[in-house]
Amino acid sequence: MKRLTSFKLGLREGVRLVAVTAVIYAAFIAFATGADTKAEDAKSADTKAADSKAADAKPAKKAGKKKLTGAELYAIHCNRCHAERYATEFTPGQWKTLMTHMRVRANLPAAQAKLILKYLQEDSGN
Amino acid sequence: MKIHSLILGILAAGCVIGFTLTPRAGAVVNDEDFSSLKDLVTKQGRRIDQLEQTHEQDQKTHEQDQQQIQQLKQQLGETHAVATNATQKAEEVARVQSAYPVVSGAMSAMHNFTMVGDAEVQFGKAAGQHGSFVLADFAPIFLFRASDNVLFEAGFDVTLQNGSQPGGGSATHVDLSFAQLDYLFNDYVTVVAGDMVLPLGTYSERAAGWLNKIPDDPFSRDFLPGSGVGVQLRGAIPVGQSGQMVTYSVYGVNGPSSIDTNGIAGNLDLGGNVGDTGNWHANPSGGGRIGWFYPWQAHYDLELGVSGQTGVWDNAGRRSWSAGVLDAALHISPYFEAKGEYIYTMQETDDMGTIHPQGWWVQAGYKLAGLNLEIPRISNVELVSRYDTMHDALGTKTDRATVGFVYYISNTLLFEGDYEFLHSRGPNALPSNAFVLQLSYGL
Repeated sequence: MKRLTSFKLGLREGVRLVAVTAVIYAAFIAFATGADTKAEDAKSADTKAADSKAADAKPAKKAGKKKLTGAELYAIHCNRCHAERYATEFTPGQWKTLMTHMRVRANLPAAQAKLILKYLQEDSGN
Repeated sequence: MKIHSLILGILAAGCVIGFTLTPRAGAVVNDEDFSSLKDLVTKQGRRIDQLEQTHEQDQKTHEQDQQQIQQLKQQLGETHAVATNATQKAEEVARVQSAYPVVSGAMSAMHNFTMVGDAEVQFGKAAGQHGSFVLADFAPIFLFRASDNVLFEAGFDVTLQNGSQPGGGSATHVDLSFAQLDYLFNDYVTVVAGDMVLPLGTYSERAAGWLNKIPDDPFSRDFLPGSGVGVQLRGAIPVGQSGQMVTYSVYGVNGPSSIDTNGIAGNLDLGGNVGDTGNWHANPSGGGRIGWFYPWQAHYDLELGVSGQTGVWDNAGRRSWSAGVLDAALHISPYFEAKGEYIYTMQETDDMGTIHPQGWWVQAGYKLAGLNLEIPRISNVELVSRYDTMHDALGTKTDRATVGFVYYISNTLLFEGDYEFLHSRGPNALPSNAFVLQLSYGL
């Protein structure tokens, strides 16, 4: 009986935990999606100058205001877990294998992984 | 008449003088010049003989070269003919075998093979004990890309560790950390099969020695399995174009088992549901993680995740084991990061009812390069600290505060050091304070 009571309490705590987490997640995703929608609206209202090459070349202060380059995605995704690996450290073929590994391990979106791979292969070693 | 006679006389005298003096002068030139001229002519003759010999040898060499060139031309022609025939035959075979899939982007096997991983050497000293080099670890990860969509990866851990033998001494271990096949099904789904690193929190997927800034693992990670044998679906869904994404992982694995078949509390074996032939019990475990990553600028991001696993663990299949993990990571600038996990498990037992081993840890680091001191050695230092706590629900509680540093010798070679303030009580209490030094290299 004691065991059953203890189990029920644990289950209740678990359900409560999942519910709270789900609410927090929903709020965050709603906030994030809203922020992105606003950013895209702002972009469409901008003049063409906002999409100029100069703007592409410099990292934007607000990442949500334009499509990110491979270099920017590299800085966003890779440096948060490990120190920077230089493009010259691996060959183009090795980078392809490594990025497949990192796409799986770090759960990177396919399109972003491809941009990062292209960026690394451009200056890769021989 | 007199004048003519005088002229004739003078001429006659001149002739006499000339005939008298001329033979003397001619005798001097012939003795010296003739001998030197003779030597010169002799030398020139020898030189000409040598040149003629050399010329003859060159002619012979040239003839031999011409013969060899002709032979090579013939061989090249024969090789070309063989290659042409082989190509034709290969094309004919390919036409016959076209029903079989051909690996895209066919390249040599070694071209698709890459090795990464890490290596560590560790020195430790606990209070009241002698210090020693306690660990040498080489942990390669072998990656083989069979095609654009298929990757096989396996991680090994070769360690030499002190204190792992009863009564002292060191022992060498070779362990398989994971061995999995990844199939990129589409942009949003990857199928993983094999012995997989489990996505319970993020620590085990990012715990290599050169990634983890503190040499020791948080105690509470012992409540979770590091890997499991089974199948997993995972992927990421980008939200907008800012790098934001939602990630997911869903898996089924053999799950935990009992060391002694029964449901006694201390007998839980987290990755042990593998019997002599089939599994010890028939109920695999299921789990997964969902995460949200929000970068608002490069090096400024927040990641949150919730994950869990549940299943039974005793042989009779009556006792369940479940775990839930909350994880978070924050980066503010390239210099500051904070991350942590809360781990809560629930284990039904035969002897203690339902117990709840649990713990949490939080860690922060700051790179001194952010101070812009422009002092190279200082700028290579990152200060780190962590607080972790665990309660095993069997009477032992442990709290640990850790302070330390990371010195970046290069981007992949790290020298780490930390001091751990340990407070542990209970039947399985851990030793006292210790400091650890570690040299880590990322392959």
